[in-house]
Amino acid sequence: MQFTRRDLLRSGLAAGAALSLAPGLRSLAFAADGVDRGLLVVVHLRGGCDGLHLISPASDADFIAARISDLRVAADGAQAGHALANGLDSHVDFRLHDAATGLAELYKSGQLAFVHAAGLPAETRSHFVATDMIERGIADNAALARATSGWLARYQQGLGLLRPGAAVAAAGSPGGDFEASATVLAIPDLGGGFGMPGGPQVAEVLSRMYGAAPGPVAAAGRTALSAMQLVDRRVARDPQNHPQPYVPERNVNYDPAGDLARPLKTVAQLAKMDIGLQVATADIGGWDTHEGQPGRFRNAVGRFSAGLAAFYEDMWRYHDRLLVVTISEFGRRLRSNRSNGTDHGRAGVMAVLGGNVSGGRMYGRWPGLRSEKLDEGVDLAVTTDYRQVLSEVLTAHAGAAPPASVFPGFQPAHPLGLLHTAKAATPTVPG
Amino acid sequence: MSALGRAAYGARPEDVADVMRRGWPAWVEEQLAPNEAADRGVHERLARLVLPFRHGAGPKWPAVDEKRPLALLDRPIEAVWPLIVNRADMDGAERRRPRDEVTAATILRAVHSRWQLREVLANFWHDHFNVDAYGSEEVSVALPTYDRDVIRRHALGNFRQFLEAVATSTAMLYYLSNRSSRAGAANENYARELFELHTLGRDAYLNDRYDRWRAVPGAAKGAPVGYIDEDVYEAARAFTGWTVEDGSGIDGQRKLPATGRFVYVESWHDGYQKRVLAHDFKQFGAPLIDGRRVLDFVADHPATAQFVCTKLCRRFAGDDPPSAVVQAAVQIWTASRRAKDQIAQVVRTILLSSDFAAARNAKVRRPLAVVAAFARATGLDLMPAEPLWNEIGNAGQRLFGWPSPTGLPDESEFFLSVNGMRHRWALVLAVAENAWGTGDLPVPPPVLQMPTPRMAAVQYLGALHGAVERPLLDHLLAGLGWPADQPLGDPMRPDVRKRFARIAALAAMAPEFQAV
Repeated sequence: MQFTRRDLLRSGLAAGAALSLAPGLRSLAFAADGVDRGLLVVVHLRGGCDGLHLISPASDADFIAARISDLRVAADGAQAGHALANGLDSHVDFRLHDAATGLAELYKSGQLAFVHAAGLPAETRSHFVATDMIERGIADNAALARATSGWLARYQQGLGLLRPGAAVAAAGSPGGDFEASATVLAIPDLGGGFGMPGGPQVAEVLSRMYGAAPGPVAAAGRTALSAMQLVDRRVARDPQNHPQPYVPERNVNYDPAGDLARPLKTVAQLAKMDIGLQVATADIGGWDTHEGQPGRFRNAVGRFSAGLAAFYEDMWRYHDRLLVVTISEFGRRLRSNRSNGTDHGRAGVMAVLGGNVSGGRMYGRWPGLRSEKLDEGVDLAVTTDYRQVLSEVLTAHAGAAPPASVFPGFQPAHPLGLLHTAKAATPTVPG
Repeated sequence: MSALGRAAYGARPEDVADVMRRGWPAWVEEQLAPNEAADRGVHERLARLVLPFRHGAGPKWPAVDEKRPLALLDRPIEAVWPLIVNRADMDGAERRRPRDEVTAATILRAVHSRWQLREVLANFWHDHFNVDAYGSEEVSVALPTYDRDVIRRHALGNFRQFLEAVATSTAMLYYLSNRSSRAGAANENYARELFELHTLGRDAYLNDRYDRWRAVPGAAKGAPVGYIDEDVYEAARAFTGWTVEDGSGIDGQRKLPATGRFVYVESWHDGYQKRVLAHDFKQFGAPLIDGRRVLDFVADHPATAQFVCTKLCRRFAGDDPPSAVVQAAVQIWTASRRAKDQIAQVVRTILLSSDFAAARNAKVRRPLAVVAAFARATGLDLMPAEPLWNEIGNAGQRLFGWPSPTGLPDESEFFLSVNGMRHRWALVLAVAENAWGTGDLPVPPPVLQMPTPRMAAVQYLGALHGAVERPLLDHLLAGLGWPADQPLGDPMRPDVRKRFARIAALAAMAPEFQAV
C-alpha cells in the first residue's frame, strides 16, 4: 500500500520520531521563547495574477461571453483544466489551469485551499499603490499616508520575533512586508555560502570600523556582519571547506520553478539550518500579462505550481508546522484587450498550503460575473478582504489572533475556517 | 567631496582642486553644456575595449569564443534589428550583446567621462523611464538606440520632447506593450505607467473616483488635480496605432517592414472622441494628434512638475529633500517648460541651492557609484568586465535589468540589506584586487617609498575620504593584524601588491565611504 505524506506524518514518524533521526532539525522554527510556531512563508505573485485564468469559472456563460477561449481554462478537450471539488458555487464548474498539476495534487490531498474573489477592498488598479497597501496591511489611501512599516515587521514586533534569523526575505532586499524591520535578513541565495568576502581578516577590520559608528549604514553593516556569522557556519562544506550545494530531500527538483526556485530552495535550506526561522517571504514574477497572455501565463502557472510542490515535498517532514500563503496585488480585467492580454483588474486568487490547512476546498463568496456584479462594471469584485485570509493564517501561526497593529483598522469577519486550528499545536498519532 | 559624490560619480583628486579654484557654479555650468567631442578619454577607451563573446554551436551556427570590440553603440535601430528578424539564424548571445555593450559603456563613462553630471542624469532618467533589457530580447536590441537617442539626447533637454522620444522608442513600445495596442480594446500598460510613473505620479491617482471625472477637483475648469482610471483607459485609446515596424501584417494586403523603427498605423488607431484630464478630444484628428495631446497635458500638469522635481531633488539632495529646494525646482520647471534646456535649468537650480550644499551623508552610494568613486579617487584606470556588472547587480543595481517600470528605488534603505552590504563589500574588494581583470590599482608614490600598512592606509583613506580620521585608521590597522610600521615588501611584487590592494579596499568598505 502506498502512504501519503500525511499518513507518514500522522503515524508516529511525525514530529517526534522523524525529527529525532535528523540531528540539527529538531528545533526547526523554535522561537527563543520556546513556542513552536512553525514556519510561515508568504509568496508574492508580482505583477497581478489573473485569478480568472488561474481558476476559471469554466461553465459561466458571462465568462465565456466576455473572454476569448485562449484566456479561459477549458472544461474539456486536450487542455482541460483540473476540476476542483468543493467549489464556491454548485452551479459553476471551477477549473484550475492545466499547467498547475502540482497544485491540483496538493488540493486533492486536502492540504491546499484556494480563496477566490479575494483581494484589496480599496479601489485601485495600480500595481504600486496596491502592492504598498498589501505590504503595509492596510486598505485605504488615508492609511497609506500614515503607514511606515510592513505588516510582517509589525507581526515580528508584536510577537517578539526579533532574533536575527527569525525573519528572512529570500530576495536581494527585504521588500515592503518587512519595511522598518530592524532584524529581517535579505538572503537571496546560499549557493556560495554566506561568508565574508575576503575572509576573517576583512571581517575583523569591518567589525571594528562598523562597531560603534553612528548612522544607518553602520547599523546595516553590523546586521550584515552578524547575519553572515549566523548563517555561514551552518552551510554544509566539503573537506576543503568549500560550501556545498543544498541537497533537497526526496530528490526534489526545483528547476521547473524558474525564478521561484532559488528563493524557495533558500527558505528550505535556512529552515533546516536551525536558525529559528519563523517568517519568510519569496517572490515570483511574470504575471503582468498585458500582452501574449496564453503562453506567458502558462509559463508562470507552471513555475508557480512546480515551486510550491517542490518546496512542500522538500519540507515533507514539517508539514504540520508549515504554512504557505500566496497573494498577488490584484487580479485582471474580465475582458481581454486586443493584445491577447488582460489589463489591471481587482479581485484574484489566494492560496493557503500546509498540513493543518483544511484544504481541498475553495473559500470565499463567488460574486458572479454578470455586469452589475462586477466592480465598476469591469472587474471581478472583491468579496474577501485579503486581510481576512492573512489574519487566519497568522492566528494559526501565532496560536492566537495577531496583534491589532498588524492590520490597523481591520475588523475580522466570520472566519473562513481555512485551518484545522485544533490540530496545529499537537499532531495526533492514530492508535 | 560630498557634492561631487552626488552630482558626479565621485571626485578625482584633481576635481577637488578644480572646484576649489574655479568655484562650484563654474563647475556646474560647464557640466550643464557637455561637449561630446571633448570626451576623448571615453572615446579612446570605448575604441580599445574588447569584451569576450562566446556561445555554443547551434543548428545554423558554429560555436564562438572570441574577443569582440564594441560595434553596436552608434548604430541606428534598423542596423541592429536584423538580430531580431533573423533570430533563427544565430545564438541568443547575439541579442544580449547590445545590452552588454551599453552596460560596459555605462560603467566606462561613469568612471572616465568628463561629463559626470550627464552620466548621473542618464542613470536617473534610465531609472525614471525604466525598461528591462533582461526581460525581452527586443528591448536588449533596442537599448543602444534608447540610451543614445532617447535618454542621453534629452537628459538635459526639454521634458515634453523627452516624453515623446520615450513614447515612440522601440524599447518602451515593447517594454510596456503599446506596440500591440489596437483600437477595440486598447492595451493600457503604457498609458497607466505614463501617468503613474513618468509624469503625474501616484499621489495624483484618485483611485476612488474611477470614471467620475466631474468629481475631480478642478475638472470643471479643465484643470483636474489628478487622474482617474478613465483617464488611463482614454489615454490608452489615444496611443493605439503607435507601434513598431516589426513585419506585422496590417491587413490582408499590406505588411509593415521589419526595421524596428517607430511607426503610426492609422488603421489600428481608435479615432473616436475621447476625454483625457477633462479635455475633450475630437473624433478622427490628424495622425498622432491624440497621443501628442495626451503628452502635452501630462507634461504641463502641475503634478508632473512636483513629482519629477521631487525625484530629481531626492537624487541630488537626499532621500527626504527639503521642500525649499523642491519648490524652487518646481518653479523653474514650470517657467521653463517650453525651453529647450528645461531640465538643465532645473538641475542648475538644485545644484546651486543651499539645500544641496548643506546635505551630508544624504545618499547611500549606489553600487555602480561605489566602484566608480573608488576608481576615480585612487586613479585606477578601470575597464569594464562582465563579472563586474554581475556583482554590481548582486549588490542591488542590475544595470538595465530592473523588471518593474518603477525603476530602481532611490531610497538609501534599499541598498542597505544584508545582501546589499555583503555584495557591496565583495564588489570593492574584487575591484581593488583586480579579480576580474578590470585594471591594476596604482600604488601611491609615498607607498613605493615607504611600503608599510600605515602608509598605505593613510594614503588610501586620504584619497577616498578626503581626510584621514584617526579612529578609522586605528581600526583598519588593528583589524588587519599586520605590523603597521613594518614594510610589507616590494609593492610591485604581485603578492605584495595584493596586500596593498586589500588595504585600499578596506578603506573603501568603511561606513564613511558608503554615503555622500
